[in-house]
Amino acid sequence: MLKTLIDAFALISTWEVIIAMIAASVYGLVIGSLPGLSATMATALLVPVTFYLSPIAAIATIVAASSMAIFSGDIPGALLRIPGTPASAAYADEAYAMTRKGQAELALGAGVWFSAVGGIAGVLSLMILAPPLAEIALSFSTFEYFWLALLGLMCATLVARSSPVKAIAGMFIGLLVSCIGIENPGGVPRFTFGITDLFGGIEPIPALVGVFAVAQVMRAMLTPEPPPLPRRKFGSIMAGQWRLTKLYHWQMTRGNIVGIIIGVLPGAGADMAAWVSYAMSKRFSKEPEKFGTGHVEGLVEAGASNNASIASGWVPSLLFGIPGDTIAAIAIGVLYMKGLNPGPTLFTEKASSMYAIYLMFIIANILMIPLGIAMIRVAAYILLAPRSAIMPIIMLCCAVGSFAIGNNMFGVVTVAAFGVIGYVMEANGYPVAAMVLGIVMGTMVEQAFVTSLIKSDGSILPFFERPVAAILAAMAIGALLWPVMVWVWRKLKPVQTAAATGR
Amino acid sequence: MRLPDSVTGSFLVVLGAAAAYGGYILPPVPGQPVGPNVFPLVIGTGLALCGLAIVFGIGHSFEEEEELVPFENGQAASPPPQGKLEGKLYGLRALLPPALLLFYVVAADRLGFIITAAIMVYVTSTALGAKLKLALPLAALSPFAIHLIFGKLLRVPLPAGLLPTPW
Repeated sequence: MLKTLIDAFALISTWEVIIAMIAASVYGLVIGSLPGLSATMATALLVPVTFYLSPIAAIATIVAASSMAIFSGDIPGALLRIPGTPASAAYADEAYAMTRKGQAELALGAGVWFSAVGGIAGVLSLMILAPPLAEIALSFSTFEYFWLALLGLMCATLVARSSPVKAIAGMFIGLLVSCIGIENPGGVPRFTFGITDLFGGIEPIPALVGVFAVAQVMRAMLTPEPPPLPRRKFGSIMAGQWRLTKLYHWQMTRGNIVGIIIGVLPGAGADMAAWVSYAMSKRFSKEPEKFGTGHVEGLVEAGASNNASIASGWVPSLLFGIPGDTIAAIAIGVLYMKGLNPGPTLFTEKASSMYAIYLMFIIANILMIPLGIAMIRVAAYILLAPRSAIMPIIMLCCAVGSFAIGNNMFGVVTVAAFGVIGYVMEANGYPVAAMVLGIVMGTMVEQAFVTSLIKSDGSILPFFERPVAAILAAMAIGALLWPVMVWVWRKLKPVQTAAATGR
Repeated sequence: MRLPDSVTGSFLVVLGAAAAYGGYILPPVPGQPVGPNVFPLVIGTGLALCGLAIVFGIGHSFEEEEELVPFENGQAASPPPQGKLEGKLYGLRALLPPALLLFYVVAADRLGFIITAAIMVYVTSTALGAKLKLALPLAALSPFAIHLIFGKLLRVPLPAGLLPTPW
């Protein structure tokens, strides 16, 4: 244990890791603070760079950039009422109301401080939950993996803030995309239409860059430019945070726990965590009437929650290769590329790398405090950059980055195609996160499914015979039937009330 | 780009059916009951069923109205002013980014990275409403910056094309 920890320290105390981490932190802070550029997009654009780094440095950049971007989305939220990332949307109104009351320092300080605390709570959950789960997961067979993957996919459709039918359709589209290529049980070219470039299948990373970055530039073409940030002088940012921590320690803990749970659930990420925690804070508050008028309580809980979900999203990613959120989906791609294939054995064979990941998360969250304060002070200058200067650079990074992944132009075509697909899906209410999950998990689902079918000789019964498999199956089927039940219940209720009033 | 549910749903039915059929005709692995054909068959059928459900409006009640949180109330309600003037063509502007990426695919090898990138930056920037004063220097400088990061530091073989890079 101690030896692994020392090994982990040795892994992260190289210049490459330190420089990568600081550079990625600054990058994450800047991207996160620019409205319209999300944390997922920041991570996706980082992937081509990670190709040229050592495994630990590559993961360090993702860890640092994603944590920082989630916090720094609070900055334009508080100052302009425009959330920098979707994860800050839940409480942007509240933070802006505080700014108007002259409490901008308190709102932003709460953002930094409780983000850092939440992030560290998330890492602790990762450290505590992952190893025992890995023990259990070692005895999993393909039946359990199949149900687990299905459960993950169903969770993603349940939590989507859209029609569950459309979410399931989105998931199927993603799975269909993963069918392309020759990497299938028969090794035959499938859905390649004779195009050689399609033989290798659709790489998840260019697809993600397309869906999250190109689609965003496409939307920017049709939406008005956000107003510039008024320049202001800030007082002490951290003043009063310790008092808030003592006053709202219960809210903070609840936010952390909710964030951790939502992070672990596949497909639900930081934005969902912030919405749920903000609503919860209002529901259980002693003074709910103050919410919306510039009350810090909801900010504390939601800020603690969204950062906690970032680290806990890595739990299912590292254990099963099932992404906890879209950022983890990208991280999984990088893990595979760097030879750290997700799975329970990762915790025994590459234990020092795992400890290095924990340590990097902790360092990133501590680093967030000084860098975050500096960022708040210079935010007014960064937000002066007009969208017409940023989006072209994003476009270039998309083109060059997707080319760099395989050093061929087909990556660029993939990015363009998925930009269109992502844009059209989003505009019509099909959640793209469900599709992304389908693409990332497709190969694994198919492998588990087909191997299980071969083992069971075409019979369905063995899918339910092992106890853990039966429990997971019950949960997955329950998740599938849940929207149906809600729908039936909603259909029945108006009939009943109509009948009652009719009498 | 907001299409009626019946259109997107029907499209999914066709796509699902095509995928299921495409899976069905794949050659099986000899001597083995399940092969590469099973998964697309399941996925395609599921997708077609979802498409049908969407056409019939099942699950529509779950959908929340388009979220307009990011902008101030007044701003979000009114569409951008130019939109009315240019009518239907305005919506096509959204296709500019993917079109530029395809342009990159076609032109980069012949024109070289610097020139292609400069054109991309200039077009995107002006489409987003930048003045010449911003768009021109941006188009002149940013390709070199990106080339420095990706081409020099990360050693991505970016095409040189017409402008061989002497440095």
